[in-house]
Amino acid sequence: MQELDLSPNDFELCLKCNLCTTVCPMMAANPHYPGPKQAGPDGERYRLKDAAFYDLTLKYCLNCKRCEVACPSDVRVGDIIQNARIRFGRQHNPIRDFMLANTDLVGSLASPLAPVVNSALGFKPVRLALDSLMGVDRRRVFPSYSKERFSSWFRKNALPRQARFARKIAYFHGCYVEYNFPQLGKDLVRILNEAGYGVELLPEEKCCGVALLSNGFSRQARRQAESNISAFRKALSGGAEAILTTGSTCTLTLREEYSNILGMDVSDVASCIHLATEWLYGKLESGEISLKFKSLGKPLRVAYHSACHMVKLGWSIFSIEMLRRIPGLQLTPLQPQCCGIAGTFGFKKENYDYSQKIGLSLFDEIRELNPDLVATDCETCKWQIEMSTQYSVLNPVSLLSAAL
Amino acid sequence: MDFDVIIIGGGITGVSTARDCALRGLKTVLVERDDLTAGATGRNHGLLHSGSRYAVTDRESAAECIRENLILKKIASHCIEDTGGLSITLPEDDLSYQSTFVECCRAAGIDARVLDPEEVKRKEPAVNPELVGAVWVPDASVDPFRLTTATALDATLHGAVILTYHELVDFVIESGRMVGVRVLDKRSGETLTFNAPVTVNAAGIWGASIAARCGIQISMYPAKGSLLIFGHRVCRMVVNRCRKPSNADILVPGDVVSVLGTTSSKVSLEECDDIRVSADEVDLLLKEGERLSPKLSSTRVLRAYAGVRPLVASDDDPTGRSISRGIVLLDHELRDGLPGFITISGGKLTTHRLMAEQASDLVCSKLGVSARCTTDKTPLPGSEQTVQMPDKSISARAAATRHGSRISKMDFAGKSEVICQCEHVTRAEIEYAVQCLDVHNLIDLRRRTRIGMGTCQGTFCMSKVATVLAEALGTPWKAPEFVREYVRERWKGIVPVCWGESLREAEYMRKQYGNEI
Amino acid sequence: MRFDTVIIGGGLAGLIVGCGLLEAGQKVVAVTRGLSLNEAPRNRFISLGGEYLPGDSVLPGGEWKNDRLLRVYTRNLGKTPLEADNFILSTGKFFSRGLVTSMDSVREPLFDCLVDYEHDRSRWCTNEFFDRQPFEDFGVRVDDRHRVFLEEGRIAENVYAAGEILAGQIDIEESALFVCKNLI
Repeated sequence: MQELDLSPNDFELCLKCNLCTTVCPMMAANPHYPGPKQAGPDGERYRLKDAAFYDLTLKYCLNCKRCEVACPSDVRVGDIIQNARIRFGRQHNPIRDFMLANTDLVGSLASPLAPVVNSALGFKPVRLALDSLMGVDRRRVFPSYSKERFSSWFRKNALPRQARFARKIAYFHGCYVEYNFPQLGKDLVRILNEAGYGVELLPEEKCCGVALLSNGFSRQARRQAESNISAFRKALSGGAEAILTTGSTCTLTLREEYSNILGMDVSDVASCIHLATEWLYGKLESGEISLKFKSLGKPLRVAYHSACHMVKLGWSIFSIEMLRRIPGLQLTPLQPQCCGIAGTFGFKKENYDYSQKIGLSLFDEIRELNPDLVATDCETCKWQIEMSTQYSVLNPVSLLSAAL
Repeated sequence: MDFDVIIIGGGITGVSTARDCALRGLKTVLVERDDLTAGATGRNHGLLHSGSRYAVTDRESAAECIRENLILKKIASHCIEDTGGLSITLPEDDLSYQSTFVECCRAAGIDARVLDPEEVKRKEPAVNPELVGAVWVPDASVDPFRLTTATALDATLHGAVILTYHELVDFVIESGRMVGVRVLDKRSGETLTFNAPVTVNAAGIWGASIAARCGIQISMYPAKGSLLIFGHRVCRMVVNRCRKPSNADILVPGDVVSVLGTTSSKVSLEECDDIRVSADEVDLLLKEGERLSPKLSSTRVLRAYAGVRPLVASDDDPTGRSISRGIVLLDHELRDGLPGFITISGGKLTTHRLMAEQASDLVCSKLGVSARCTTDKTPLPGSEQTVQMPDKSISARAAATRHGSRISKMDFAGKSEVICQCEHVTRAEIEYAVQCLDVHNLIDLRRRTRIGMGTCQGTFCMSKVATVLAEALGTPWKAPEFVREYVRERWKGIVPVCWGESLREAEYMRKQYGNEI
Repeated sequence: MRFDTVIIGGGLAGLIVGCGLLEAGQKVVAVTRGLSLNEAPRNRFISLGGEYLPGDSVLPGGEWKNDRLLRVYTRNLGKTPLEADNFILSTGKFFSRGLVTSMDSVREPLFDCLVDYEHDRSRWCTNEFFDRQPFEDFGVRVDDRHRVFLEEGRIAENVYAAGEILAGQIDIEESALFVCKNLI
């Protein structure tokens, strides 16, 4: 009787301490946004009474999860807001949102035409057209597409030698590595092979769906999620020891959003999904693998940026510890703060200025530090920092691979 | 000052009588020693009975209920949420009671429909899945504060004078006839005399001691009922047990919370002024309540409160449950040889309008006035027409559910800052309440706007609300006093349920305001 | 991950102990639910080289040898334990879930330490809000070095309590400095 004084909705664990509101990056930038407490637990009580109480300004939520990190009551504030957006939200620009969210579709069309697409996306009139016709802000710099997809490269170049390894993992590469930056995938394969692990890809990997979820395409997100989870199960039962990723948002989505937002039961696979740096750390500490790193040249000054979802996972410490293993690397962890892009959010015309306002203090901190480069585990953070400052950004995996 | 009628008691009965009299053109004054709804009106279940609960044992009462239920749904629409209700049979109940129940309901004019338990589980996922039978009845949820506020507003709009914080000092009796009252204005300390040919005693459970002052004996049975408020709306419909009425067998969705009740135990008249809920009552309510909806065991309990039913006694049943909730109208000229004095008592929230009609009819006959009752057809202010929303904000929508069409009187432009975030109450709404709804402190304000009735029980916004209120009243220095008064009032309801999440909130509340004194 | 001291609960008390130990040259990590609002001590802790893990919580149990705590696991760090010579229990009272309650009991949820509290629930609060409430004095029992009891008569050798988790009326800073002195 009253043993668990919690509601399955968990929103009434909220004690109104307002800590979440003090850490919300959007609240500080946008006076129209009611803040995580009001949008989440407060709003949920009223939405339970009548769906008409759904507040359209919930679309400003970045899903950065900093509210959840700050909450002393374990209220899943971000999830409450995301779930409300899925249940009650409306799409204002469905075609644009579809294009931004369907990374697989756009990627597979753009990749073979990469040189043309890349030039076009850099061409001012094209950007103006995208701005006025579709509402994609003209100032936003698009990542470039790679002519050769990662999976193609892998099958041609890496697959044959993977059979040599007794132990293996499955690599969930994600859209960024596949269509934009296969080098990161190549770097991971190199490290894993060096550590004595073979790499296999999933037969038909689909985008993790995080952008589909935040843009109102939850049914499609669910289809992709089911396909991915089923592929994970097959890989694990076929001998892969883990599913690795190189993107922090993919990791969070696969491990947590699939169950918290889509309501799927992924309890059998969630704990087997790892971020590469986190997994490598564990294996090195236990002595199961051994890797030797050499210096990357003159003292290399690297600023490490904790992506929002890394802070939520609590795994920045793993990436930082891995980078500290590289001799001669002077690592400065930056103050954890949101870069502002929030995935597809920052591409939209109506949001661009908020994104840039939110990231400003991060950009200033980087400039003040003046590092040789910035390291971060999130690709959209990389795009944002490279566009908004003049510094190069690399994933820790790429640095580690270069230091082998 | 001279009036046609004086009414003692600012509960729904007194206020409704004031409205009825005012609508008939009588010069009316009402005096209440505290704020409106401070008695049983502000401490009940918030249930607009269909009457089904009384159909088997008291057909007349049930028929009265359903008639009034349907009337109120028309004239007080913004105070009522027509949720519908279920009367469920659980495995441990007697399923054969259901057919008796349905028959008696129909005989009393109550629309009762037998439902398939599987269908009920779909429509109402939080109801106990073990149910073996269910009947739909036209129960609804009513907000007694909203109802009383709107009724009082209508009375004053038609010329009645409603005076809160005015306590009866004594009656003025001349030549064996009651001709008026002397009251103390508690805020100014002044004593006032009001003269009227008829005085109505509508003071609920305190009516007996009031009548006793003129040597009149009325046997009242103070039956305490305790209730719990849960943090969110667990069920969409009212859920009753289909059995002989007993403890804790009604769960009512009240705006954004759920109210579970009730218990029944005898208390002394002295206790009525400071009624508290005991740990045993809380345990009992939870144990029985979980049979209605197992979800309650994992839902946060926000607070506990108790009210005292104003029942006129019969000597045989010690628990007070089988006393008829019938209306008691006493003409003291005929009964006790004291002309100019009548008492209206008994009844329940659902039949308040009828009680007021009966009392006002008697008042008019004493005065030789032939005006007839029109309250069954006249909508309350706020319920008249479709609501004009000032903007699309959530707080405007929330204010509209509380005040109906009266939202047009609120100045949203520039005052839309949300002060109580749990319940979306804006500065505009607070200022409207101060200007039009007779608010003198935070407790009065809470009754009219839902401030502090959310999950934090005022922890978050109390200071800010107190400041806004004190400024609106032109007495900014009073803000700390308002906070002290209010936090003590909220604390009363938190103490009985202080464990788990509510204990965490209590610790936080203590940290925020504990040093205020 | 190896440290000299693991601080469980990075609120004011935990951070004060942490800063003291860092200044004495120790390697310290603080795990905390939420994010401490005590910005100045938090920033100082980090700038002194302390590892700060917010939005995480230590899982109940931990691994012990006899009555000595060897390592704890956290929700976020999964299979990677935090190992140390000493552990500080500064998880606060009810608000921060240092103590949890049911309808009739009060528990310390991580190690089930001995808690001093009133067993009759109706005596947990008083009716006067402005009086000190009985529940504000509930907390873990400690020995003269602030080490917690695993049960009557059994002390946890290397687990020290500081801050509001302690029973009685506590000066947070004082208790933290006392614990710190004990460990240097």
